[in-house]
Amino acid sequence: MERKAKKKLSENILDKFTIDFLRSQVLKNAYGNDDTMIAKLDPRILIVWYLFLGLVPWFVSDIYFLLGCFLLVVATTMLARVAGLVLFLFGIGVFSQTGYLFIVTLLFGGDASAIVPLLTLTLKVACCSLASITVFSGLDPDRLSNGLMWFGCPERLSFSISYAYRILPMLMEEFQNILLSFRLRGNPPASQTFWGKVKYLAYQVKTIMHAFYPLMLNTAKRSRTTVEALEIKGYRLAATDKRVKKMRLASLKVTWDDLMFLAVSFLWISLSILASTIF
Amino acid sequence: METTKREAATQSQKLMVFVLTMALYGLATLLTELIPSFQAGIVEFSVEYFLFIPLTLAMLFDPLSAALGAATGELVFSEIMLGQFGGLGELEKFLTVTIGVYVAGRMVKNPANRAMVGVAAITGTGLQLFLGMLVDIMKVQFAVEDFEAVAGLPESVFATEGFAFLNDLLFSGILFCLLPTLFLVPRLYGKIEPLLGMQPRTEKTFLGGINVKVILGCLAAFVVAAGAELLATSGMPLIEWEADWAESSTALAVGIVAAAVLSIIVLLVIKKRAEKPQRAQA
Amino acid sequence: MNIIEVQNLTYSYPAAKEPVLKNLSLEIEKGDFLAIVGNNGCGKSTLCKTLNGLIPHFITGDFEGKVTVDGLDTRENDVGTLACRAGYVYQDFENQIVRPTVLDDASYACMNYAMEDYRERGQEALSLCGLEGREDDYIWQLSGGQTHLLALAGAVSLRPEILILDEPIAQLDPSHADRIYEVLRKLNEEYGKTIIVIEHHTEYIADYCRHVVLMKDGQVRWKLPAREALSRVDELRDCNIFPPQVTAAARSLQGKGVRLPDGPLPTTVEEGRKYFDGLVWDGACPACAQAKGDEQGGSQSASPSAVEFRDVSMAFRSVKGEDRVVFDGLNLKVERGEKIALIGSNGAGKSTLMKLMVGLLKPQAGEVLLDGESIRRKKTESLSRKISLVFQNPEEMFIKDSIEADIAFAMQARGVENWKERTEQLLEQFRLTELRDRDGRLLSGGQMRRASLAIGIALNPGILLLDEPTANLDMATRREIMEALEAMKEVTETVMIATHDMQLVCEWAKRIVVLYQGRVVADGDRDEIFGREEVARLVGIRPPEIFTMGRALDERAYCYTVDEFTAAFRR
Repeated sequence: MERKAKKKLSENILDKFTIDFLRSQVLKNAYGNDDTMIAKLDPRILIVWYLFLGLVPWFVSDIYFLLGCFLLVVATTMLARVAGLVLFLFGIGVFSQTGYLFIVTLLFGGDASAIVPLLTLTLKVACCSLASITVFSGLDPDRLSNGLMWFGCPERLSFSISYAYRILPMLMEEFQNILLSFRLRGNPPASQTFWGKVKYLAYQVKTIMHAFYPLMLNTAKRSRTTVEALEIKGYRLAATDKRVKKMRLASLKVTWDDLMFLAVSFLWISLSILASTIF
Repeated sequence: METTKREAATQSQKLMVFVLTMALYGLATLLTELIPSFQAGIVEFSVEYFLFIPLTLAMLFDPLSAALGAATGELVFSEIMLGQFGGLGELEKFLTVTIGVYVAGRMVKNPANRAMVGVAAITGTGLQLFLGMLVDIMKVQFAVEDFEAVAGLPESVFATEGFAFLNDLLFSGILFCLLPTLFLVPRLYGKIEPLLGMQPRTEKTFLGGINVKVILGCLAAFVVAAGAELLATSGMPLIEWEADWAESSTALAVGIVAAAVLSIIVLLVIKKRAEKPQRAQA
Repeated sequence: MNIIEVQNLTYSYPAAKEPVLKNLSLEIEKGDFLAIVGNNGCGKSTLCKTLNGLIPHFITGDFEGKVTVDGLDTRENDVGTLACRAGYVYQDFENQIVRPTVLDDASYACMNYAMEDYRERGQEALSLCGLEGREDDYIWQLSGGQTHLLALAGAVSLRPEILILDEPIAQLDPSHADRIYEVLRKLNEEYGKTIIVIEHHTEYIADYCRHVVLMKDGQVRWKLPAREALSRVDELRDCNIFPPQVTAAARSLQGKGVRLPDGPLPTTVEEGRKYFDGLVWDGACPACAQAKGDEQGGSQSASPSAVEFRDVSMAFRSVKGEDRVVFDGLNLKVERGEKIALIGSNGAGKSTLMKLMVGLLKPQAGEVLLDGESIRRKKTESLSRKISLVFQNPEEMFIKDSIEADIAFAMQARGVENWKERTEQLLEQFRLTELRDRDGRLLSGGQMRRASLAIGIALNPGILLLDEPTANLDMATRREIMEALEAMKEVTETVMIATHDMQLVCEWAKRIVVLYQGRVVADGDRDEIFGREEVARLVGIRPPEIFTMGRALDERAYCYTVDEFTAAFRR
């Protein structure tokens, strides 16, 4: 059954699960939520918040505390309006780490007592992933890179983040067009029989690999202009100029909303600690 | 004057290679992240499907820029953009990818030589996988007290990790790293360089093979990688916080809650006050 | 006062055998609006890159001679200092935009040069370029024309005295192109900027530029006032540049011995009105009649249409908010043997329409029929023997490492028996035999187009779709493409071209379909389309200049080509 489902999924990589769909989902995730409450928060505050919720749950096994954290990050993820695909990936990720363990335990005659330790583990994993989804998907790329820069991350990284968000739509479109060329002129094997399906899958994987040859050359052409333009725009000078860094970071401001966000999170966490001491 | 000019040129070329590798490998890892992984029986394709991209570019251009570009691309596109950032543990992947790609790139003197390219590609992939395996084994070793004392544990860990390593290397390593690299490098050699305004790699422009400095650098990076990964994953049993809490009184927790409530109230009040003069001004 | 002085400049790229620029000297006055023309590969872009210091600081190579920009020697000042004097907008401008949002990109350079007021400067540049209100938009939300304006704003924000633009309107429809040039005119006239454009479109040069520099083989042939320069029709043609149609017509009439005023030839319709004053239209001339007769050629048979759209609706998911509807209940029939031009502004849905026809996109509602059969359930691959699409960007069609392999690819994949001979024949037909082992991407613009056409017809499709086949080409290359289209006539019955190139439309198409906001607003032969001014105004298309010229002289004159014009008007 599962094998069948998997086959079906992989068969549809280029058909239903198209690059077009991926593109729209990734774009949605990257750009579609810049007007949410999360996106408006100060990146430094959010990064500190993430450091707490991304790390502390790993070290704590108290179920009430974990539940509290989990509910909090679920709420923030909803506030950040994360794209469906990312949440789907999150689900797969959590399942692959803990869910299947539970099924295996049940198969080998385990009983419900296995639930509690597994639940703890699941909550830990889920909590950390959702916290990172909130911060990295919810934050505006530019604010995120400014925030990282404030914490002393290399300039190259923060440039890469902004640039990645700029170039991704272009890159995906180009890739998509090249794949279209393959689709128009190629001739995939028939996929009726089981062997046919395997061959079809192999064909598609091969096509994606081959598509990188033209993509590499086309992207090389682009990056030349880009790097020349960066030189004109003074990027290389700015990377070492302290004044520029200061100017960039001057746009960061902690507002009441940020403090309120922290305080509410703090209240919620402390309530869950209270709960755990009572019960 | 001349030297600064040349330096600017090489700097820019490095930046070009960095940007190129980052964009391409970033896109590729984004795709792998989005495409569900395949599993056929015990054989799992857990290798980086698209490692051939930075391998190819590292053999044609400056290896370090390509290696760093690849690692950054993966971090930015698939981890940060999709919010799949795994914290400190990502550093391990970052550094092992960098090391593998860099070493492979340094090994190739003449990109037209297929044998050399093939050896370098499989070495780079192998190195990346091997370092990953080492870290995995160490993780278990640190996590389980008296690792040696548990009967059969070391053997079983070595066996499973070793098998996974060989499986990855022989199966996906060859299919997804060696073959595409062998396909791409000779085809791109001499073609892609002019597009970036560079000269193809020759014996003259070749940086020189692997030397002690490279090995030491890679070792140092690996130590950092292993340290980060261990910190990230096996910190769990090292610190036992829950014990403290179980003993602490409810009163303390109530105190914390009260403090939180108080801080919110204070914030609200201050905000109200701060808003008033603004409104007056408006 | 000269703002740019180039003295005896000789430059060759690293590892190149021949210098690109050979002992070139040029002076440009402050406040000039200058066009640089010349055939592909004559060194125009290289010259421009020496003006902003990219050469020799960033791109090394052998550099001899002296370039002075706004009083600064480019060799002694770094790229940063020079960037504040001379802004540069690339031909592939979208790659020059490196930040995700609009205001951010416009002010990025200023921030990097540590200017405290970088936001204000960015803002100011945006409003100069007519992009106010878009500050917080993402780059991909902009149209092609707006993206170009943003690239310009990025350069303007540093407040340079000189702006250099490399083929600014190559991919734009006329209304977007006008907007770019209006912005440039404002910068030139109101703000005193010196503007330098590399430009193929001589109609725009005539309308906007003051001086023209003709380059050939790495040297400046001459620098002349625009009107005088454009009057040198023969020299321009030698360098593969189309002179304005009005000028070409005047030159041709001169050659026929028609008595015309002395002095420079007209370059715009306005000038033409005076110059051609006194000519009369002869509606009975054989050329006009023949042109009419040709148009009856479309075959009307009982067999099913080659392509039919039945109530097709198509929308794209958008990142935010509502889906973007491209077509809502579109109906269109394409008969066998038709030569159709598909026109409309950027974003009217031309490319989408073509992708629907080849099955790359599936409509949300309605049917697309090919030879009377719905293609909804058919695999894209199975359609490719019947219908083929040549992309706008040929680079996306090169998926193999040589054009020979690219041409053969589809035939091999389908096991076409004589694929070897057929490939050979196609290489021959498109004069690519000597280039067969080269990678498509490394060819010149015209060769690339030819190769992409050869790839497109490899499978002998009955229907061929071409997306912007003549964008960005000089005269020689364009002629080559036209010849190639002619040569394909026997093989491909039905051809549809999406284009902004109205000269191509008028010379080639038998039927014109005008798309506007996803609807067919006009459909007919060229008289029906261009004769109705309200359509042209609504959609923002513009008939060829010679057509406007003819009608300016006589309301009844419908001349679409220079030849028709010169045949129909006489003293």
